Amino acid sequence: MSPRRAAKRAVKAVADRPQPGDLLINDPILKTISRAAFALVMLFALLLLWRGHNAPGGGFIAGLMTVGALILHRIANGDSALRLDPVKFIPWGLALSLTTGLVPYLLGRSFLKSDYGYITTALTGEFEWATALLFDLGVYLVVVGAGLSLAYALIEVEPTELVEGDR
Amino acid sequence: MTLAVLLPLLMAAVCALLARPLGRRTGYLAALGFAPALLLAVPLAGNSVGVGGTPLVQVTNWVPELGLEFAFRGDGFSLLFAVLIGVIGALATLYSVAYLSERERFGRFYPFLLLFGGSMLGLVLSDNMIALFAFWEMTSVTSFLLIGLWHTRSEARDGAIKAFLVSALGGLGLLAAVALLSIAGDSTSLSGLDLDAVRASPLFVPALLLTLLAAFTKSAQLPFHLWLPTAMEAPTPVSAFLHSATMVKAGVVLVAKFGLIFGTSALWGGVIVPLGLATMFWGSWRALKQTDLKALLAYSTVSQLGLLMALYGLADAEGRFAATAHLLNHAAFKAALFFVVGIIDHEMGTRETFRLSGLRRKLPLTFAVALLATLSMAGLPPLGGFISKELFYEAMLHAGPGFIAVAVIGSALTLAYCARLIGIFFGDFQAPEDDGGQLLKPQIHEAGPGLLLPPALLAGAALLFGLLPASAEWLTRRAGAALDFAGHGGHLYLWHGVTPALLLTLLTWGLAALLVWQAARVYFLQVHLELPISSNRIYRGVLDGLNTLASRVIAGTQGLALPDQLRITLAAAGVMGGYAVWRAPQVFQPLEPLPLSTLPIAVLLVAGALGVLLSRNRLTAVILTGLTGFGSAAAFLTMRAPDLALTQLLIEAITVILFLLVFRYLPGFRSLPRSRVRRVIDVGLAGAAGIGTTLLILASLRFLSPPISPYYLENAYKGGGGKNVVNVILVDFRGFDTLGEIMVVGMVALAVGSLVRLGRRGQARSETDTVPGTPDLQTLDLQQRRS
Repeated sequence: MSPRRAAKRAVKAVADRPQPGDLLINDPILKTISRAAFALVMLFALLLLWRGHNAPGGGFIAGLMTVGALILHRIANGDSALRLDPVKFIPWGLALSLTTGLVPYLLGRSFLKSDYGYITTALTGEFEWATALLFDLGVYLVVVGAGLSLAYALIEVEPTELVEGDR
Repeated sequence: MTLAVLLPLLMAAVCALLARPLGRRTGYLAALGFAPALLLAVPLAGNSVGVGGTPLVQVTNWVPELGLEFAFRGDGFSLLFAVLIGVIGALATLYSVAYLSERERFGRFYPFLLLFGGSMLGLVLSDNMIALFAFWEMTSVTSFLLIGLWHTRSEARDGAIKAFLVSALGGLGLLAAVALLSIAGDSTSLSGLDLDAVRASPLFVPALLLTLLAAFTKSAQLPFHLWLPTAMEAPTPVSAFLHSATMVKAGVVLVAKFGLIFGTSALWGGVIVPLGLATMFWGSWRALKQTDLKALLAYSTVSQLGLLMALYGLADAEGRFAATAHLLNHAAFKAALFFVVGIIDHEMGTRETFRLSGLRRKLPLTFAVALLATLSMAGLPPLGGFISKELFYEAMLHAGPGFIAVAVIGSALTLAYCARLIGIFFGDFQAPEDDGGQLLKPQIHEAGPGLLLPPALLAGAALLFGLLPASAEWLTRRAGAALDFAGHGGHLYLWHGVTPALLLTLLTWGLAALLVWQAARVYFLQVHLELPISSNRIYRGVLDGLNTLASRVIAGTQGLALPDQLRITLAAAGVMGGYAVWRAPQVFQPLEPLPLSTLPIAVLLVAGALGVLLSRNRLTAVILTGLTGFGSAAAFLTMRAPDLALTQLLIEAITVILFLLVFRYLPGFRSLPRSRVRRVIDVGLAGAAGIGTTLLILASLRFLSPPISPYYLENAYKGGGGKNVVNVILVDFRGFDTLGEIMVVGMVALAVGSLVRLGRRGQARSETDTVPGTPDLQTLDLQQRRS
């Protein structure tokens, strides 16, 4: 690793350290479970995204599930599982969805016209591809970005007023 | 032509991405964006287009159903103007490379400049009126961005907002005018309009007036001139490009092109010519008063635009010929002068006339350039400005004696302020000092070639147009067929013989000499002769009034306690819904009986709702709300809608988490005291809301048209390639809706995110300076007082 990158990572590590007011539940049981649960939920979310075209699922649902998994990770471990600012997912997702709409338009077909087909490979057997999946990926990214940036913003803010005990 | 419009827009993206590694050199890349516009000179030079030949036409469909298309029509005038934009744009970009400081944010500056260039090219080349409107608005927006480039300065912000508001007003006018024209003329294309139908239509006069509103706001004509002087907060290359040679001429272009439609009406010339001349007079009067060189040039631009407007407003061959010739001259000398002022500012550290003198000795090359450009602006021989001013006099002589009088006085004032401008180069040299006697620049030297070359080229053009009038005439004639003056017999000569115009020129020189001789008295008059109303004061009054009105409305309706807000909203909804039910009670359908299996779900839902009502603890309330959500999910499942159920479940889970996060900021749970009457009213409102929602759902059971679901079921696999119909609807059939929805999701996230961040201590960083905004927005007048 170049010294410059090492320095960058060090700065990042300091920035990632829980700040005063961060929500951090130091619970070993939650931590342990969250590790396994996080992986499982993420995998399931990706499965939902993948199969969405043909079975219950899709970008929106998968995005929500991913948000849930990442919030769990964040609360259990006190740092984000992502190295990226979730806000940046929003423009990228929008751009991706828009591009899948624009490409057929520029090719002379109607806006957002989707295309699909079948490929047969030795490993997977018959396999369907659809440009709609790319569009759905855009939806997924926007939902993840929006949900996470909201949740992270709320987690990181220091409450200005202490909560009185609920009656 | 399409490339000429598109490449600057594409290069804007490229420059934005590459600005960081390239730094200052981004400018060279940006200048490339104007290359196709410069290449348009080739078809312009070819005789086929220029004189009576068929124009170039390129059409790309956009939304053909709405009559929207990118139709570019390169007739002689459009091409001439496009090449002009290309030349000045490229020069301004190259000038910026030397002018801007190393710390400037090039990733903003050059993309904005290119975006502007592209939209301006689109504006002049567009034949489709809707696209023309779109490009028009784009120039307003990019101009806003460029004026506000140094947004940490309050003057820049004020100037940007003012320019935007004024030109947005005109933009609305243009939109309405375009709509009226396309209805009356049955076409959205300028060349396809049925002119006889337009002229016979009752919409003719409104469309004419709205077009004029657009043109006058954009070209800073009285009484909309107020934005141009404050727009000088932009960096100088921008001022040279936008606010002298191109954007402000968009209104002139509009008048020139639309004059072919409206010119038959007496109203057209009757409005434009007097207002144009009044603007010419007022602009030059104000210019004479300025001590800031850039402000002087700004008012001078206002004045020159008035002149151009008046000439095109005549809507005859003579006027258009003279105006097109002057348009070329003006672009050459005004851009050159802005560049010169940029050099002076750059090398001397100030633009105030009273701090500068004898620059001739220190900046000899700049002096030479400035002298040529100023002579042309003043309308003195042997430069291009002289020739077009003669033509202007000729045209005004035919228009009437009142007009020629204003024209002569305006020109004399022009000559007088030109004398002031060039005056800074004469006399003894004194190093400029600030108010405290400190030297502004320790070492003064001549500008480098990067700064000198662009104005030198333009001044050279001004000289060429004067010494070799045939060159200017050749260029002007290119626009002849497009603007319908090909048959006009006029020519450009330095020496016309002893004509009335020449005598008027001599009179002008005499008047100007008097003005210069009595400069002190004129200045006294200017300081003490203030009009009681100014456009600025009206602008400020309207703005303040709107702000007050908005605050009152908000104070009266928003920001109430949440229960009050809810009462108002529910009461309004109840009244409207009740009225609808009363008017059309027949919408309801008999219900089908539900299977018994849904009973537990219904119990779950009702229990959840009642529980929320009775709970005295926030956490309980949220969890019980979740219960109703899970109940709905179960209901979806029984109706075989797994996608909906899954979504509902996840939404409930995430909502509960977000609620819990928010709770940390809320004060304790307490019940507000409520009087008995209040309680009755609230129960009534709640009941009405519940009943109303039920009725709404019942009413929506009746289909107003045959349901579309069978179509979806049938075509999902064939057309969309998916077995999950819900998903195919989302990503394919109604993909456009989904696209809109994710945009909303993204926007909401950004808005809420920034709201939350605002509450964070020490995080609400502001990029603005600590200087309060100028209270009266008259930044130029403030500078005036300081002197």
